[in-house]
Amino acid sequence: MRNHIGKKIINSILPVALAFTIGGIIIALLGSNPFEVYGVMIRKSLMEMKGITRTLQLASPLLLTGIAISLCFKANIFNMGIEGQLVFGGFMAGIFGSYVTIPNPVLHILLCFAVGIACALAFALIPAVLRAYYHVDEMVVTLVLNYAMAKVLEYLSTSVFRDAGSGYVCTPAVQKTAKFFLLGKTKMTAFVFVSFAVFLIISFIMTRTKLGYSIEALGKNPDFAEATGLHSRKKVMTLMLLSGAVSGIAGTGWMLAEKTFYTLDFSGSPGLGWDGMLIALLGRHSPAGIFVAAIFYSALKTGSEKIGLYTDVPNEIVSVIQGLMILFLSIQFLDERFGLFEKLKQKKADKEG
Amino acid sequence: MNVIETVDLTKRFGNFTANDKINLTVEKNEIKCICGENGAGKSTLMNMLYGALQPTSGKILINGKEVHFKSPVDAIACGIGMVHQHSKLVPSLTVYENIMLGIEISKKAGKFNSPFIDEKEERRQVQELIEKYHFQLNAEDKVADLSVGQCQQLEILKMLYRNVDILILDEPTSVLTPQEVDWLIDNLKNLSRQGKTILVITHKLREVMAVSDSVTVIRQGKVIGVARTKDTNERELAQMMVGRDVVLTVSNENGGEPGSDTVYEVSGLCTNNHLGLDVLKNVSFQIHNREIYGIAGVEGNGQSELIKVLTGIMLATKGSVRLFGEDITNLWPDELRRKKIGIIPEDRYKHGLCRDMTLADNCSAGYLDDAEITRRGILNRKNMQKRCHDYIEKYDIRIADEYGNVSQCSGGNAQKLIIAREFESSPRLIIACQPTRGVDVGSIEYIHQCLLDFRNKGYSVLLISSELSEIMSLSDRVGVMYKGEIIGEADPKTASVADIGLLMAGTIPEGMR
Repeated sequence: MRNHIGKKIINSILPVALAFTIGGIIIALLGSNPFEVYGVMIRKSLMEMKGITRTLQLASPLLLTGIAISLCFKANIFNMGIEGQLVFGGFMAGIFGSYVTIPNPVLHILLCFAVGIACALAFALIPAVLRAYYHVDEMVVTLVLNYAMAKVLEYLSTSVFRDAGSGYVCTPAVQKTAKFFLLGKTKMTAFVFVSFAVFLIISFIMTRTKLGYSIEALGKNPDFAEATGLHSRKKVMTLMLLSGAVSGIAGTGWMLAEKTFYTLDFSGSPGLGWDGMLIALLGRHSPAGIFVAAIFYSALKTGSEKIGLYTDVPNEIVSVIQGLMILFLSIQFLDERFGLFEKLKQKKADKEG
Repeated sequence: MNVIETVDLTKRFGNFTANDKINLTVEKNEIKCICGENGAGKSTLMNMLYGALQPTSGKILINGKEVHFKSPVDAIACGIGMVHQHSKLVPSLTVYENIMLGIEISKKAGKFNSPFIDEKEERRQVQELIEKYHFQLNAEDKVADLSVGQCQQLEILKMLYRNVDILILDEPTSVLTPQEVDWLIDNLKNLSRQGKTILVITHKLREVMAVSDSVTVIRQGKVIGVARTKDTNERELAQMMVGRDVVLTVSNENGGEPGSDTVYEVSGLCTNNHLGLDVLKNVSFQIHNREIYGIAGVEGNGQSELIKVLTGIMLATKGSVRLFGEDITNLWPDELRRKKIGIIPEDRYKHGLCRDMTLADNCSAGYLDDAEITRRGILNRKNMQKRCHDYIEKYDIRIADEYGNVSQCSGGNAQKLIIAREFESSPRLIIACQPTRGVDVGSIEYIHQCLLDFRNKGYSVLLISSELSEIMSLSDRVGVMYKGEIIGEADPKTASVADIGLLMAGTIPEGMR
């Protein structure tokens, strides 16, 4: 049992370590000391109050998208639409926040969340119904809908909801009453607490409830799940809608706490939903793993914001490291599928024995 | 001359010794049975002979030469072929494509091979092979549409096509119908006459006696005894296997007469399979209190579909099912369990257990709604573990790690886990499907006793099994299924096996019309 967990941790840490090693080599080739650069990154993102709070702020949506992905993936439902659901939820919450005036800030924010969740949920309903009632592959549908949604929002933000006063394509900013403000001298907002709370609730659902049990059973043996009384159709709906709602919260929070208006790069590159997928994989679909991965990944992001300021190395080095991580993570994926690691071990054991 | 010889062959998994200094000799042309309870180490031994596992120490000699198999490919090259207990086929490919997988026949372009596959030739060769051995297969059928029995036939065929000299069969009869078993035995004998050496792993003693020339009994990883089949008998072998005297057949004679209240009533049940064929036609029967109703029949005559309909994973198109007069037709599995029906499913690892989940999770599967397990949707892990612990104690389930997954259980222990779960939920009716399939002798007796005790307490059991002896010794009444119908009912105490055999073949015997 312990061995198993050890292997899991190694499987998550190894790609990261390899990515950093190669990143270090590249930094050295650029003429800087990799230890110094990494030192700056760690100091600026994890050792200083501003850095830590910034990291937490960036981690907030990622925690949610990460757990939203796991919620479905663990049950073998491949919901690739987190990204689309997130931007749609965020967009609509932003529109609501700027066009509707409500003097009470708490109420305004709550209603923005309600709108964001409702919209993301409605958008997730399409693939959920198609999968549950018409056996349409949810992976294809959710994947494609992301791009459809991106185009729809591009249209809406360039025409209907365009902020005429701005020099570039964006929607009007949300009103002050709908904004999350930075807390004290920190770089984080109350959204961090919202996100952590939602994350804890979903983690609890995944590990300690009947629904969590169903997720595991569905993922590991769907026939067994059905035969022991799980109504898989209902569960598919529940899980896809739940993960849609969580992405809605992530999108709304990102809008109210960070962006305040919709731009075409609202979700960044590659996008909070896709980052969430990386985090879910890094964290191996366990809540604790996702938490560590989200914090780590956000620390990288914070570090990348600072690295150009304090060293001679361009910011892009962080993208390189992220890319390498994805690459090594996919190798590990192959390992799981085809057992390369096991084979190597077996070979070694044969030689010894 | 010994075709196979192992010298002090040992395999350890961590601290666990699966095989301890096994010395096995197999002569040319002989049919050798390896007997032992589940978990005795038979499969480990065979996997080493087949190259799927590498020994920790000891030697394997094939035709007198020491060999080191790195993988099954090496073993096949050496003329050793294995037919696995669980079939390893590609469901989306056809029968002939599965046989030719990896050794496809290329189309000839003049003297050279072209990169295209000569499917016509492949089909022809496979069909020829099927006819030669009288297999019930069609070269062009998709494997996904085959029955379990047919898949097994295909596995054997695959090895025969590869011209292996030594054939290893792992529990070959566990999925076969009685007729198929007889056919298999004939064919194995035939193959051995043609010069093949055959190793059969089994714990069905009747088949050991029928097929083998010699037997080796393994218990707890050690060779307990070796005998010529003609010099031994079932009782002696059973004793060696379990280390104690086993009552091979428990009987229900001392439990009192069946009651007269109708508990479970199935009337006019019909259903279609995914191809739209009528697989159940007007199935009707009643089960009273204190009664075991057995359904016998050659596999593939609608029993699987009947099980699926009665356990809520397939819909009936017509007819009704009643429990104590209440209509429970087409209810979901969870609703059936709430009505106090215990379900022992046909396919243990598909519908009964989840190998990759913990024992505790599996012990509560289907009964998550119990107040001690779930309150307001939140699981009580402590109680789940406690329940698991209680079951393990009470039902003598032997496992290495109480907190581990079901995958560590041998077949018999896995089945006992299901038995524990279903019997402990205070059911009023148990639907037991193939309850002892792939289960060792010791557990078979235990499971039979559980079913009988349950009956003797006044409850009802629906027993569906392809093991005729099981049906005959346990049931109060037997219904025989043939082509989706129950074509006859018989009292096992008065009816002869021959009569039931006739019913199974679709003929209604004189006295029963």
